[in-house]
Parts: sequence; structure tokens; C-alpha cells
Amino acid sequence: MSHDEHHAGESSNYLNHGKGIMSWLATLDHKRIGIMYLWTTLLFFFFGGIAALLVRYELIAPGQTIMTADQYNKAFTYHGTIMVFMVIIPLIPAALGNFFLPMQVGAKDVAFPRLNLASYYVYLAGAALATSTLFLKGVDTGWTFYTPYSIRTGTNASMVVMGAFIMGFSSIFTGLNFIVTIHKLRAPGLTWSRLPLFCWALYATSIIQVLATPVIALTTFLLFLERAMGIGIFDPALGGDPVLFQHFFWFYSHPAVYIMVLPGMGVINEIIPVFSRKPMFGYTAMALAIFGIALVSFVVWGHHMFVSNQSDLANFLFSLITMFVAVPTGVKVFGWVATMYKGRIIFKTPMLYAFAFLFVFTIGGLTGIFLATLASDVHLTHTYFVVAHFHYVMVGGTIMAFLGGMHYWWPKIWGRMYNETQAKLACLVIFLGFNVTFFPQFVLGSRGMPRRYYDYLPEFTALNRMSTYGSWMIGAGLLWVAIYMIYAIYRGEKASSNPWNAMTLEWQTTSPPHHENFTTIPKVTDGPYEFKDA
Amino acid sequence: MSHDNHHSGGSHEEHKHHILPESMGIKIWLILLFFTFITVWIAQFDFGAWNFIIAMAVATFKATLVCMFFMGLKYDSKENVVIFCTSFLFVTFFMILTFADVLIRSDSIPKGEAFFKTASGPAKFKKPWNSTPEIVAHGKALFDAQCVTCHGSAGQGNGPASAGLNPKPRNFTATDGWKNGRKPSVIVGTLTKGLNSMPAFATLPAEDRWALAHYVTQFGPSIDKDSPADLTKAGVDTSKDVIGEVVSKSVPVDFVIERMSEDNR
Amino acid sequence: MGNKNHHAHHFESAAAEFEASKQGLWVFLVNEVLFFAGLFVAYAIYRILNPDLMHEAHKYLNWKLGATNTVVLICSSLTMALGVTAAQKGQQKKSANLILVTILLACVFLVIKYFEYMHKIHEGLLPGGLFSYHEPIHPKAPQFFSVYFVLTGLHGIHVIGGIVVLAWIYMRTLRGEFTDKYFTPVECTGLYWHFVDLVWIYLFPLLYLAS
Repeated sequence: MSHDEHHAGESSNYLNHGKGIMSWLATLDHKRIGIMYLWTTLLFFFFGGIAALLVRYELIAPGQTIMTADQYNKAFTYHGTIMVFMVIIPLIPAALGNFFLPMQVGAKDVAFPRLNLASYYVYLAGAALATSTLFLKGVDTGWTFYTPYSIRTGTNASMVVMGAFIMGFSSIFTGLNFIVTIHKLRAPGLTWSRLPLFCWALYATSIIQVLATPVIALTTFLLFLERAMGIGIFDPALGGDPVLFQHFFWFYSHPAVYIMVLPGMGVINEIIPVFSRKPMFGYTAMALAIFGIALVSFVVWGHHMFVSNQSDLANFLFSLITMFVAVPTGVKVFGWVATMYKGRIIFKTPMLYAFAFLFVFTIGGLTGIFLATLASDVHLTHTYFVVAHFHYVMVGGTIMAFLGGMHYWWPKIWGRMYNETQAKLACLVIFLGFNVTFFPQFVLGSRGMPRRYYDYLPEFTALNRMSTYGSWMIGAGLLWVAIYMIYAIYRGEKASSNPWNAMTLEWQTTSPPHHENFTTIPKVTDGPYEFKDA
Repeated sequence: MSHDNHHSGGSHEEHKHHILPESMGIKIWLILLFFTFITVWIAQFDFGAWNFIIAMAVATFKATLVCMFFMGLKYDSKENVVIFCTSFLFVTFFMILTFADVLIRSDSIPKGEAFFKTASGPAKFKKPWNSTPEIVAHGKALFDAQCVTCHGSAGQGNGPASAGLNPKPRNFTATDGWKNGRKPSVIVGTLTKGLNSMPAFATLPAEDRWALAHYVTQFGPSIDKDSPADLTKAGVDTSKDVIGEVVSKSVPVDFVIERMSEDNR
Repeated sequence: MGNKNHHAHHFESAAAEFEASKQGLWVFLVNEVLFFAGLFVAYAIYRILNPDLMHEAHKYLNWKLGATNTVVLICSSLTMALGVTAAQKGQQKKSANLILVTILLACVFLVIKYFEYMHKIHEGLLPGGLFSYHEPIHPKAPQFFSVYFVLTGLHGIHVIGGIVVLAWIYMRTLRGEFTDKYFTPVECTGLYWHFVDLVWIYLFPLLYLAS
């Protein structure tokens, strides 16, 4: 593989290394693949967001507002399917992770660049197959595809399920790549105990992706066969067990929740020490806690099934084990807070998102206890309480962390700064909008408003209206972020190579980085958060 | 090439590849063939549950040989050994916890026709609108299970859950406040439809509601009786032995799913 | 591509690249284990809940063909292992021949499987709703054949995938792309092929000899 001629001096970077559309579409550069993932996932985030706004707008008042009950079922199914499979699973690992994991370990690329590119196209193919159903009959099963309804529905469930099947492979390829990259391509001196926590988080995520995703691949494949030829493994009419589907589904989909949130935690792990100018409090405990969460995540899936006529023993075991999630999660939250304690906190946008993350994620985590407790879950599981909890964890956890990470790394990706004032204000709008949207849903849920329903009792109107107004705030905030961030790419102030004075390796090279990341492979002599000015 | 397994773990140092000697490969192959024969041969005998255990033990032994020698895991880095073995740990989690549900779950919720049978239940009492000591005893059992949390075990409306209720639960020992009278047919009506903070108990079979009504009237200072006109008004056909009412808790899920999917086709 | 002794730019040395590739394949095999795990769980559940089911249903599978296929796969594993050994020693010609034998054995496996399948389809011993055997066997027999067809079918797809990859490796060996310094694709394909054998080692007693 011969190297292209190098552009003169500083200006040579991965963005101007190779021109034309093919230099992007056929690139093996992890940074460019990361960027392609970024734009694609953000595009789907936009579609999923539109679906969410439509669902919320329908619920602004009882009765029919803008769509029929059938259309409503499809709208929330698309919201869930797009957001889960096409957005938050690949968002941080495949976009930010692809870009920064090799840089943080001091490598020139991921271990298998071709596999990396393949994972992008596999993802695109799966996403295209799943979303193409929008132009056919759509799908109305909800993102969980529970049997037996998903076997019987006349909508295009098969295509969406196969789309999820295909996207699973993309996730597996990314995970495989990251595991080998972290094992084999660390720069000299970068021992495990000097690995940045973002890498630790992605490492744990990758392990989950490799261990759990094949199970959803099999499950969706069996569901497809069930629909195509009636193999009778899940179909009760043929003597199958529909609850078995739930076991198979959640064996993947519960760990998948951690595929979504662990990389978010990883981003927060990077931001908090840098903007507190202090080493990470309890680095080893923080790294172990990530693995604790990943491990426990595999043995708690049954807490999604407390009302599925699961056996009492299983209910008891899953409720008990679920409580253990609180231990490593608590370690993480306390670790972050302890890192900030007596630090010199710099209130830049990434740090504001880290605060938002901590606030929102803690509420999400604490309300999880109500749902892990068998007795209260039976009452809450089919209500908006679960919707609120899930969004506090997923949006509050993953999306806040993603936005924080995007603001943190934008100068590195493009070599340009965004407008700090606008960024802070937009962060405030999103944070407020988020709480206005989802906090009322806790109240609605605890008062018994069922989730997934098209209509509701008149006494729930005020809170639903508030929630819908909040969704507009989030939409406006995100749109604002999109505008000034894209503006920054073209017109932003030039960024220095290390605007935040961070110690991790991605900041030790130029902004935007060189085609091969580093002109010489760095030697690591210190931990990732040993700040000189601390 | 040496057999010395010197391994680098995660480091980048030069690594000597282990090469499986041909003679070793053929030996392993012969052992594998031999144990395939053993598996088939032993399956002819009936050892009960042991057949399965033996078959799995032999298969695992064969698999281990393939892993260690053909796949070279014996000479590979520890990292790869750990990676591959991890998969079996998680398969074990998967199996054990799924079994914890599926193998001991009892289908406690009856479905379809069976569902309707249990919901209505076979008639235990003939003409339940007539108070008898047996039906009152049945009413007490039901009352202790369903009603005491609000109404209290003495029927004074002071059960533990009454604190949060407004209006307060009915005090059965007093005569005041009974807007519709204290006749059993009226109490059955309240049980069926609910009243203020009192929820409807329409899920109970009709004869159970009558049993409760008969028991509840016993708390009071006087026992009011239904006249034949009252019974007719309550929809009771006194010429029959049972109350011809279909009680349905809910619609079976299968039925709803069938209907919904038909709508979608 | 075509870089005989070179290694990709992001690796320090050819040895580092080899180690990384091999580890990648191990991680892939972990994913494969979990992929098959779901079906083994389903199998175990139906077996434990219906102890008589397997006993009844396995009689309709031909254990002689199953045993023959086991022997065929074990032999193919041997030829594969010897092929890898030859490649590691730089004996290109020998390696190519052994890989070719492996491909042929894989084809024999598929042919035998084809006749088994045809027989089942002819008899109506089919999965779930398609089950149409002329006499009643066991109420859950359709489930047994679902598990049988999906498990062996997915295994068969892996065999077909293996043949494709082996054919590619065979072509590359003939072109002389591998040396005693660079044989990563041969060794990795070998690992995959042994895994396919590994799955069958369990499938054979579980499906054909269940009593």
C-alpha cells in the first residue's frame, strides 16, 4: 500500500487527503468512516425525532388530533425502531468511537479497516431495508416486535425485522474491530492502567455487542421464519411459546441498553476530569464499574417481563439481580462527583452537558429502582412511568453525553470552534425542554396513564400538553445546535490542536488530525488525566 | 519449529507460530473417529438419563480436542483462550435464567373457553338470592379476602386503606347514610357498578356478589330482605336456580390479536 | 491486496498483524457460539418439557447418515489442519491439495444432507405449521422438526460459506500468495472450518441419538 504524496506542512490532514466523493465512499480511514457514520446516524436521528414530534403532537389533546390510531401505532413504532437500532446503538461507538478510539490508543487505524467500512455499508443496507417499509404498509408492532402480534400483523414486520438482523452484523463488526484494536494496537507505554476511560467504556460496549448481538440476529431470523413459514417456535397457535421470544429478545435488548449508555458514560468520563482539571477519582474503580455494569447487564433481562406470566422464581431472581446494577452505577456517579470536588471547574459547553447528564441520568437511575422492584413494577410497567424512565436514561444518558462529546471533539474533528455563547444557550434549551417533556410523564404514569395508547382520559390533558410543549423545545434546541455546528465547520474560528488542555492522545496531534493520525507514533509515559496544571 | 509456547499476550513482540505436527494431527483424528464410534455404539443401550450425559461428555471431549489441537488453542495466547471461553460463560447465563422461567412456569392464566369457565365458575349455590347459613359463610370468606382492607374486619368502614379514601368506606354496622336502602339486591348493584371510591367488583361471579351482600347485611342492627319485586327489579329470574349472567374479566388476548391483524390485512 | 510479505500500514510488523487477525477470528467465533446458543436453548427447553418427544421424533432421523456426516466432517477437519500445517511450512502445493480435499469433503457433507432433507420433505416431516406426516407422532413433533431444520439449516449455511471461503483460499494458494511467513488467511479459514465441525459434533448426538 503506497502512501499518497503528502501535502505540505500543517495543512495536510484527513479532510484534504484525497478528493472527490469516492475518496469518502471507499475510504478505509477510520476517521472518514466515523464521519460517514456521524452524518448517517444524525440523519436518522432527524427522522426519528420527526416521528417523536408527531407522536407528541397527537397526544397534545385527548381524541384524534392529527392522525388515526393506526397511523399513531406506526409513528411510535418508527420512532422506537429508528432511534434504537439506527441511532443510539451506533451513535457514539460507530461515529465518535470510530473516530477517536484509534487516536486515543495511539494507533494509525482500527485493526481491520475493510471490516470497518463493510460495517458501515451493512448498517446502511439494514437501515434502508427497514425504513423502506415507510413507503409500503409500514409496521405497527412497536420496536420490541413481541410475538404473537408480530407474527400475525399484516404490516411489513418481516422487512423491519430483517433490517434489524442486518444492522446487527454491523454492530458486531464494529465491536470485533474495537476489541482487537484495543488489545493489539495500543501505542508503546499505553498500558491497560493508562487507557482513557472512553476506551474502557467502548471496550465493554464491544464485548456486549459481540456477545449479545448474535442472539438478536437469531431471534429476528426465527421471527422472520415464523412469519414466512410458521415454524411454530414462538407461535402459540402452533404450540410455540411466545414468552420465549421475549427471553430471546431481551437477552440482547437489555444488554443493548448498555451498548447505548456505556459509551455515553465513557464520554462523560473524558469531559469531567478535563474540565475539572483533576485526575479521575478512582480510575481503577471507574474502569471496573464499567465492566461490572456490562456483566450484570447480561443477567437482568427478565425485569422487562414481570407481567409476562414469567415464573415466580424467575421474577424473584431478576428483580434481585437487577438491584445489583445500582452498585457499579453508583460507583460511577460518585466517581464523577468526587472528581469535580475541589476541582477548578471550567464551565464550557461540554461540561454543561456533563452536568445535564449527571442530573438527568441520576433521576433515570433512581426511578429504575421502582421498576426493578417486582411489586411496584407490576403497576408501573404498562404506564408512562416506564416511558419517562427510559427516556431519562437513554436520552438523558446517551444523547446528552453525545452532545457533550460532539462539542468536546468538534474542534478536533474539523479544526474549527463553534460559537460558545450559542452553544451554552442551546444546551440550556435542550436541558429544560427535556425535563419539561419527560418529567410530567413520571406523574402521568404514576397516576395510571397507560403507555402506547392513542387516547387518554381528559384529566391527563394538562400534563400531556406540557410534555408536548417540551418536545418542541427539544426540537428547537437540537435544530439550533445543528445550525451553529454546521456553521462552525465552514466559518468557525480556527481551533488550536488542544483547546481544552487535555492529556489523551487525540489532542497531541494536529486539528484536524493527520491522515495517519500521528506523524510519529507517540510514546505514553503518564496516565490519561495527569494534568500538568493540576 | 519449536513447541515452546512463548506468548506475548497483548504485546507486539515477534511471535513464534506453533505448527501442528502431521503425526499429531493424525493421532487426534483417530481419537475423534474412535469416540464418534463410541457415541453411536453407546446410544444402543438404555442407561436412562445417563445416555444424555455420556453423549454430551463425549461430545465435549471431542470438541475440546478439536479446540486444543486443530484450532491450536493449547499453544495460542491466553488472551484468545479467555476470549473463546467467555462465550460459554454467557451461554450458561442465557440457559440457566431462561430455564428459571420456562421450565417451572405454570400457565396459571386460563385461555379461551377454559377462561370463561373459570371466570363464571360452576354454580355452587342454588338460588343465591336466598340467604342461607352456607352462602353467608361463603360471603364471609370472600369479605375477608376482598373487602377488609377498606371496610375493616368488623365492617365498620375503618380498614387500613380507609385513611386515604374520601368519602370514607361504608360503615355496615350503622343504618345512616344508605341512600338506596340496605337490601341485598341493592348491595349487589353497588358491587357490580361501584359507587364513589368503591370500585366495581363485576369480575366476581354473580353468586359471589350475592354471598357478599348476604354477609354484609348481617353486620347491621337489622336485616333487610328483598321482596320478589326487588328481585325482579334487580334482574333475577326467581323461577331458575342460577343467575344467567356471563361474567367476563377481559377478552382473551388471542382473540384480540386475531381481530387486530385481520383489520390490518 | 497482493501484498505478499507486507503488512498493512497501521501494524508494526507482519507478526502483529497475524496475531490481530487471528484474535479477530476468535472474537468472531465467540459471536458464532452465541448465535447458535439460542437454538440450543430452544432445543433444551422442548427436550426437558417433553422428555418423550425427542425419543419419538429422533426415530424419524437417519442416524446412519448423521454418523457418516460426522465422520466426513472430522476427516475434513483433519485435511484442513494438515493443509494449515503445510501452508505454515511453505509447502504450497501440498497445502492446495489438502484444501481441495477439504472442499470435496464439505461437498460430500452437503450432498448427504440434501438427501436427508429431500426424504424429510417428501414424508412431510417439516417444521411447525408445514408438518404433514401421514400419521400422528407426538403433539410437539412439529417443534422438533423446526429446531432440527433451523439448526442443521444454519449449520449448512455455515458449511456453504466455508466452501466459498475455502475455494478463495485455494485459488490464492495456487497463485502462490502464501509463504511460510504469510499464511494468515489459511490459518483463519482453518479456525472457522474447525468451528463448523465443532457445532456438528454437538448436533449429531443431540438430534440423531436422543433417546
